[in-house]
Amino acid sequence: MTETGRLEKWKVETGGQKLPLLGVVAAGWPSPAEEELVDTLSLDDLLIENREATFIVRVTGDSMVEAGILPGDMVLVDTSQTPRSGDIVIAQVDGEWTMKYLIRRGQQVFLMGANAHQPVIRPKSELKIAGVVTAVIRKYK
Amino acid sequence: MEQPLTLHSWPKAIVHIDADAFFASCEQALHPELRGKPVVTGKERGIVAAASYEAKARGIGRGLRLFEVKKICPEAIILPSDYETYSLFSIRMFAILRRFSPDVEEYSIDEAFMDLTGLRRLYQGSYGKIAQQIQETIERELGITVSIGVSVTKVLAKVASQVQKPRGLTVIPGTEIHRFLKDLPIEEVWGIGPNTSALLNKFGIRTALDFAKASEAFVKKYLSKPYQEIWHELNGRSVYPVVPETKSDYQSISKTKTFTPPTDREDFLFAQMARNLENACTKARRYDLAARRLFLYMRRQDFTDFGVEIRLTRPTAYPLELLDVLREGFSQIYRPHTLYRATGVVLSGLVPTESAPFGLFDDRVRIERIAQVYRVIDGLAERFGKHTVHHGASHRVELHAQHEGDRGDIPVRKIALFKGENKRQRLGLPVLSVPV
Repeated sequence: MTETGRLEKWKVETGGQKLPLLGVVAAGWPSPAEEELVDTLSLDDLLIENREATFIVRVTGDSMVEAGILPGDMVLVDTSQTPRSGDIVIAQVDGEWTMKYLIRRGQQVFLMGANAHQPVIRPKSELKIAGVVTAVIRKYK
Repeated sequence: MEQPLTLHSWPKAIVHIDADAFFASCEQALHPELRGKPVVTGKERGIVAAASYEAKARGIGRGLRLFEVKKICPEAIILPSDYETYSLFSIRMFAILRRFSPDVEEYSIDEAFMDLTGLRRLYQGSYGKIAQQIQETIERELGITVSIGVSVTKVLAKVASQVQKPRGLTVIPGTEIHRFLKDLPIEEVWGIGPNTSALLNKFGIRTALDFAKASEAFVKKYLSKPYQEIWHELNGRSVYPVVPETKSDYQSISKTKTFTPPTDREDFLFAQMARNLENACTKARRYDLAARRLFLYMRRQDFTDFGVEIRLTRPTAYPLELLDVLREGFSQIYRPHTLYRATGVVLSGLVPTESAPFGLFDDRVRIERIAQVYRVIDGLAERFGKHTVHHGASHRVELHAQHEGDRGDIPVRKIALFKGENKRQRLGLPVLSVPV
């Protein structure tokens, strides 16, 4: 045995018999650091709540630039979440697709861009919400 | 009034889930501009792999050749198959089903069986209500529709799911079976082939109900065990269990190549076959898998397939060990003066390489040398592109420059990559394609 408490040899003398060892045995207590690692989140876990209902959308427009979503970004969209006022949603308004803030005031539902100068969109005949934007991903390198 | 076949409503509750026009529906879910339009997949093969309901309504069905599709329905949208995306949808569909019950059998890429027996109290509703929740969840989260059959056996659940499509939901309790079998032609029952139905017709059995009401003595005298089992299942006595196991991701690896125009040139065809083998083996090695069986096939101009399966004496993923048997198999199926449009190989019976045993007569030294050669070949392919070093057998493929992608044969997902994705690996999430 060495000072670090490891059995370094593959074979240990045991009363004349040679006992083969498969691997290296570490003595002492397990490191608390390793135990903590069991509870870490992967980036997938962090970004995706309901995997079956999560889709990627590639952003092409600039209507959400002031919310920090740029053309070329990926956004993750969850189709299982019930959209709430203040959520960013991917929606089809009177046939046109858009990504905007969903705002609900009493009985009224409308969409609002991140840019204060953009007009508020009030659906004339139909508003279909495909999903709620849950994350934006931008990879630089 | 017909007598019921059984007085037990729900001795078991078996559900069959059948995705509607699955491949075409996945495309419509991800490309909203395709919804409501006739969509067909299979562009790369020249025949219809799946047709959306809009296309079906215009008389387009599976297996139809694409030039015929264009004649019948010029406005049809014809897409190359994007199996990667369809597999993601398939995995998701099964995962959603498992939220409702652990007893899910993945029957095929777009079909599943579930056992819901005993779950009514948990969900505080009838089996039909649970099935409806399943159907709604899949449609809300995946954007595709499924048809569901609920009954007391697998055969009957399958009968039920076919009653109404798309977005069908049909419930057949034990006491109602006879009503659904009355007008169902016997050959439409799952597992009854043309020979068996011809035999049964001779005894005046034409409908599934006729068959269900046949006596046990008759069934035992004239039919073999699988058909006796179907007879029990039609009578509401469950014989086939739902087998809840995940299918392994790599049960088999297949590589095919379609070429236009069709050709009868033996050297070219064998080179294509050898290239398929190289591609399949490369993929197997990437996952540290070795194959126990090699299947090769060739598709003639008239779309008939001829194939042969070879059992290997040792699991391997090295073309050098396989080219001789490939040549032998090829010579068994190739006919001179016949035009072929595609070749393909399938590696199956895959096992992890490290567990692949050596046989008594295997030349271990030679095998280890071959392994070293392929480590170098794979390294070179990694650095300089695939097939930098290839076998002489596939060299002719290089001489006939293939215009891959010219005909829009490659799905968009494989071309429009995100930063960090590459030709081989892409993010495991489907891309919803909307202009925002």
